[in-house]
Amino acid sequence: MDPPIYYSTAEFIETDTGNKVSRRANISGPQNIILGGKTIIASGAIIRGDLKRAGPGHSVVISLGRYCLVSEGCIVRPPYKTYRGTFNYYPVKIGDHVHIGANTVVEAATIGNYVEIGKNCVIGKFTIIKDCARVADGTVVPPNTVVPALSSFAGSPGRFVGDLPESTQEVVEARTKQHYGRFQPMER
Amino acid sequence: MAPNVSYHCPCLSDSTVPPPPHHLSSSSSFHPLHELFFCEECDAIRCNTCVSVEVSGYYCPNCLFEVPSASVRAEKNRRVLPYLCARNCFLCPCCRNTLSVVPSDPPETDDGRTLPVSAVGEPPFFLYCNYCRWDSAEVDITFEKPTGLAGTCTAQLQKFEDSAPDSLEFERLKEHFEPFLLRAGATSSLNPTTSAHSHHHVNPVTAAASSALARDIPGVAKYTPAQSTSGRRSKGARDEMPEYKARVDASSSKGAGLGGEPDVEFMRRLETVSEVASLEQRWSSSWAVSLRLSDIKPLRMPLHSRKSKRCPSCRHILIKPEQKAQSVRYKIKLVAANYIPAITVSMPAVAERRATLNGQATASAAEASLIQAGRSYPFHLALTNPLYDPVQVRLQVQRQLPAGAPRGADDEGTEKARRPPFAVTLPNTAFPIAAFAEAWEYEDDEDMLDDDEFGPERGAREKDARKNKTVGVLERRANVTIVGGEVLIGKDARGELKFNMLVSYTYRSDDPLAEDDVKATPSRRNVPEMKTFSFCTIVSLGTIVPREESRSVNVDL
Repeated sequence: MDPPIYYSTAEFIETDTGNKVSRRANISGPQNIILGGKTIIASGAIIRGDLKRAGPGHSVVISLGRYCLVSEGCIVRPPYKTYRGTFNYYPVKIGDHVHIGANTVVEAATIGNYVEIGKNCVIGKFTIIKDCARVADGTVVPPNTVVPALSSFAGSPGRFVGDLPESTQEVVEARTKQHYGRFQPMER
Repeated sequence: MAPNVSYHCPCLSDSTVPPPPHHLSSSSSFHPLHELFFCEECDAIRCNTCVSVEVSGYYCPNCLFEVPSASVRAEKNRRVLPYLCARNCFLCPCCRNTLSVVPSDPPETDDGRTLPVSAVGEPPFFLYCNYCRWDSAEVDITFEKPTGLAGTCTAQLQKFEDSAPDSLEFERLKEHFEPFLLRAGATSSLNPTTSAHSHHHVNPVTAAASSALARDIPGVAKYTPAQSTSGRRSKGARDEMPEYKARVDASSSKGAGLGGEPDVEFMRRLETVSEVASLEQRWSSSWAVSLRLSDIKPLRMPLHSRKSKRCPSCRHILIKPEQKAQSVRYKIKLVAANYIPAITVSMPAVAERRATLNGQATASAAEASLIQAGRSYPFHLALTNPLYDPVQVRLQVQRQLPAGAPRGADDEGTEKARRPPFAVTLPNTAFPIAAFAEAWEYEDDEDMLDDDEFGPERGAREKDARKNKTVGVLERRANVTIVGGEVLIGKDARGELKFNMLVSYTYRSDDPLAEDDVKATPSRRNVPEMKTFSFCTIVSLGTIVPREESRSVNVDL
């Protein structure tokens, strides 16, 4: 029912698996980034696949699942820490059907499936977000926080504010699929 | 606000007629479809307000450890507080963020380089808040090992708790009354009849308590009838009870946070407000806590629960989570979305206008002016059938008041004002929605469907359809039927544009009719059983803008 969201065909690259990546997104180290398919990377997003664990060769730094959305101005950056005296970056894993709102900074370790993150959030280093969780707009999730499944987080520092309905998975799945369907090239 | 549809759960009132849409209270009777449940036994919609909830398991929201209900119950019996994580999880007393365990700084060598230390870091370890930088070393809580903190820290917290003046006072009180209670128990068991026959609720303990109260506080005696009637009988008991001497005198209390001199002194020397712990930081404790922010202790992590839900009338389970805490699957999940059609509403004219407005990047103020008084608007309702059988649906606008409702003469005027200043037209015949096919049937032609839905040709087709008619079935595809309706808004209308809609759908029932039902209607025996289910919804289309305002906004545009 919702009207399509048009984008200019000149701006976006569509891959074989249906990923739509803006040419105006800043993607570093693309060989270390995996997109699951039908994932949209909007303009102005910054994805730091170049910040990988020390050592030669490829390693997956950032993986996104299917039907994800990285909105305008988002930053997805691997978390880092010094462990046993050595500084290292650690990979980011993001599941399927995950929407990340505009201007949000993500340094999470793991984001599950069917997760909605609002706009203008800060997701701290090594945060673990479980399935079907929701982070409200403007939330600051401190480092090392665990967001349990089906919970809603808001505030600064981000805290548990409530449970989500049992059918969240279906609702989010429908919404992300619909969003991908609405995201259409502008016909010339 | 975008147009939306909410569903009625009749649990809050006895009548099946939902409250009028303009009542503020009506919002609590309507819920989004995905929050509702459906009881198959009762054939009724249930909501979170009416279901009965049971705890099916506990888990820690931080370490996600599942705490067996048995151990929660066991801890309840011991002196340990239940419902708290017994592992390494603590909350910052200042900001309620999760605390992490950090090692101390490694010792530095002469050349400024840090020595490599053990893998876990240098003891002592302490709890540290990543958000507000509070650390437990401030309150002298440190650990030799980074693991198994709960034991150590709980012991430390317990020590603080045990040494708190309130706690000591309570212990002393218990000690003081113990022999007396034992004796009282012995006497009442010896002759139970006296206490049973006593008119007032007087046993030796309460009698002694009230006599003590009467003795210590002048003037209380005359307000306690129990004292006057049973005074003679409890005389013995009164004499037996020795006078209690408090451990510390309240006025000269040494503990902080008890309202004594030290607190006054602390407040007098206060430099910034932030030195005082806020009420929120202090009141989770059951004993008085120091006023000083520098004294407050880390909190243990409260457990969360997973809940199963039952129908309030037939007790059948509607929601039963899986054993694993972080699983989002359910063993039983009877949600309304699987039984009743999902309805979404849109106003194409308004949406188009909004799109053009967005294109021009005009102020959001213009968005409010999208529905103007004195005009008529078409709207679309998309109904999605979740059932594996086709259904026939009939829509009806529900009037504000049932025709026979009693109405006083005074009400006439107000009633007229309350009548909605708009008229809604809906298709008045039943229309079909095709059956829901398995997901894989759609999966193959998903892209085709998408193209079909959003391609250029569809827009044209839709426009044609709209030209031809606004009210009636506009489009049918897969298990979705889109019907059009129209709303005519009065000249001086304002406020929210929303109305109640009754939806009835008829489907072929799989289970045979109940025995007596068949008997009552023998003619229906060979006909496929049809069942009708009705439910109420509230359709909210947006806010009407009065004429004058809209005109001025138009000038701005």
